[in-house]
Amino acid sequence: MMIKTKLKTGAAILALSGAMASAVHAEEIIKLGLSVPLSGAAAVWGKGAEFLCETAAAEIKAAGGVTVQGETYNFQCLPYDNKYNAAEGTKVAQALLNREGVKFIGGSLGTAPVQALQSLAERQDVLVFTVAWGASLKGVDHPMTFTQMNTPGEILPLLIGYISDKYPDAKSVAMLNPNDATGQETEALAQKVWADNSVAVAGSDFYERGTTEFQPIAARLASLNPAIIDLGATPPADAGAIFKELDVIGWNGVKVVEVGTGADGLKATGGEAAEGVYMGAGVTFDGETATDHQKAVNDEAKAEIGESLNAVQIGFYDSLYALKAAMEKADSVDPKAVADAMPAVTFKSFYGQDVGFYGEDTYGRNQQMRLPIIVTQVKDGALVEVARLTP
Amino acid sequence: MQTFIQLGATALQIGAVYILFSLGLTLIFGVMRIVNFVHGHIFAVAALIVAYILPPLAAGGLSAPVAYVLASIAGIAVALGLGALLYFFGFRYFQRDLVGSFILSIGFVLLLDGVLLHLFGGAVRGVPEIFPGRVSIAGAQITVQRLFLCAVALVMAGVLYWALGHTRLGKALRAVSYDHEAAMMVGVPYARIAFLGFMIASLLAAIAGVLLAPVTIVSPVIGTDYLIKGFIAVIIGGLGSVPGAILGSLFVASIETFGSYYLDSSYATLAIFGMVIVVLLFWPKGVLGRG
Repeated sequence: MMIKTKLKTGAAILALSGAMASAVHAEEIIKLGLSVPLSGAAAVWGKGAEFLCETAAAEIKAAGGVTVQGETYNFQCLPYDNKYNAAEGTKVAQALLNREGVKFIGGSLGTAPVQALQSLAERQDVLVFTVAWGASLKGVDHPMTFTQMNTPGEILPLLIGYISDKYPDAKSVAMLNPNDATGQETEALAQKVWADNSVAVAGSDFYERGTTEFQPIAARLASLNPAIIDLGATPPADAGAIFKELDVIGWNGVKVVEVGTGADGLKATGGEAAEGVYMGAGVTFDGETATDHQKAVNDEAKAEIGESLNAVQIGFYDSLYALKAAMEKADSVDPKAVADAMPAVTFKSFYGQDVGFYGEDTYGRNQQMRLPIIVTQVKDGALVEVARLTP
Repeated sequence: MQTFIQLGATALQIGAVYILFSLGLTLIFGVMRIVNFVHGHIFAVAALIVAYILPPLAAGGLSAPVAYVLASIAGIAVALGLGALLYFFGFRYFQRDLVGSFILSIGFVLLLDGVLLHLFGGAVRGVPEIFPGRVSIAGAQITVQRLFLCAVALVMAGVLYWALGHTRLGKALRAVSYDHEAAMMVGVPYARIAFLGFMIASLLAAIAGVLLAPVTIVSPVIGTDYLIKGFIAVIIGGLGSVPGAILGSLFVASIETFGSYYLDSSYATLAIFGMVIVVLLFWPKGVLGRG
């Protein structure tokens, strides 16, 4: 009797241990490192990126997680502050890869910090997703890197073509970009694309990020008497301040912020002078194209970070679904196997459509998400989608 | 000629902002012999409070100028409260200690960076123009808002200059600035004067913050650029010198304006730093500094 009881107890313990073990098994976690600015002027991008990574991770978990070889995995986002500079980006790379043991970077922001991350990640065969715009980060030399948003290489040809068609009489452009890797790479490409569209570049300047007084810059741009002013990779808040000063001195022409991501900052500093500005990386959630899901997530984000979501941040949502698709296709969580499978997968993007990867013609390999180029314009104080162009 | 007048007006407008900022820096250094890197955060707090309070006040039915005045009073009060906290829990213990105060103020900067980001978020805040419209002076286009800012800056600089020479507090501040031990020997209460000097400097930063809120980019990091330019202005003019701060501010603004127009904004920034090196080579204490 006693032996029977002991056997029953032993069996119960074993069953309980088994259940616990399978429960633990069901909670397999894949850490996703995020190298993003969480302080300083670009903090709002990093905070939004963290928010969307966690949103996607929660959605995927609620939908049953990632299934690989019969096991269920879930994502955990690990955001680290790269302060948008190379030195901090290096520290973040070491912390994520060496201390946290991360094998997948769910997203990374800022060309300089991402360059630091990429060089270490490649040596350790870690898969990297990035929204960094630098073309130097792409190509056959970087088989573990994938780009999770449109970059100047995708945006500029279509956006500038659209502007040129819409304003055939505008034949001169003055350009301004921030004086860093992002601004310099954007400027070099923009010069070529404007010229390809028969628009003469009257002048092209750089300014230091963090500048607060834009009157002299505006005076110089206006003195070139251009039909178009293209502020390239200038952040929206700076761009708004520049357009406001241009308005004061009486310049009136076509306003473009090629890789402008949102209207909130633009309107906050530009006021009425933001009217009419074209952007190539903005997203609007008020129009007919916005889905209920987008609106709900955007409302949550606005309460959390104080701004509408933008294309930079949306990349941190899409990368999780791309990783899920590639892991399930490869039936592996090995980063190299996942990277090999990635170019062939398609997944449901935050933009509401199925997307895959392309870029072999431009970069030598399919590493760029094929996302729509959304041309937006500020009209009556609101950001309005005026064209959706497919690369 | 028209371009030159416009650029001159721009330099004066920018210079007025730097004057407000650098006067506070030079006053603190003169009285306490400390380098205060937190000055930019006191300025930022005032601007952020205006940006947060003004829209709901205006939406509540108050006219824009009335809402602005109320928001400004709140902004200045909070900034002064922050200044008092920084003094009593930090700088009071590091007076006339350049190295100690330097390390302390860097620590405060890092702490406040995180606190402001947590409280206000990283998003840029817009403050609508309180005095809309623009005027043409000798052909130069200037907004009424900027003109108001220039007028207040000039009045503040004038009042400070006059007060330092003609009031009991001003004379005490100058005495402490020249030789604090001699001042104490003749009965000047140094601790009280140092506190008042710190608070006057904080008041100047707060006023600059509320004046600039409607014309610039309001975010938790707004103070950094002004802090750098303000420091350059007082280094060129001479640490501790009020006329030096004014001269340095106008000089920095002129280089920035004319350099950005004729060269490039990035080169103008380089030129400002280059000028600091040149000035320090020939006037190590600044053009009007006593050291």
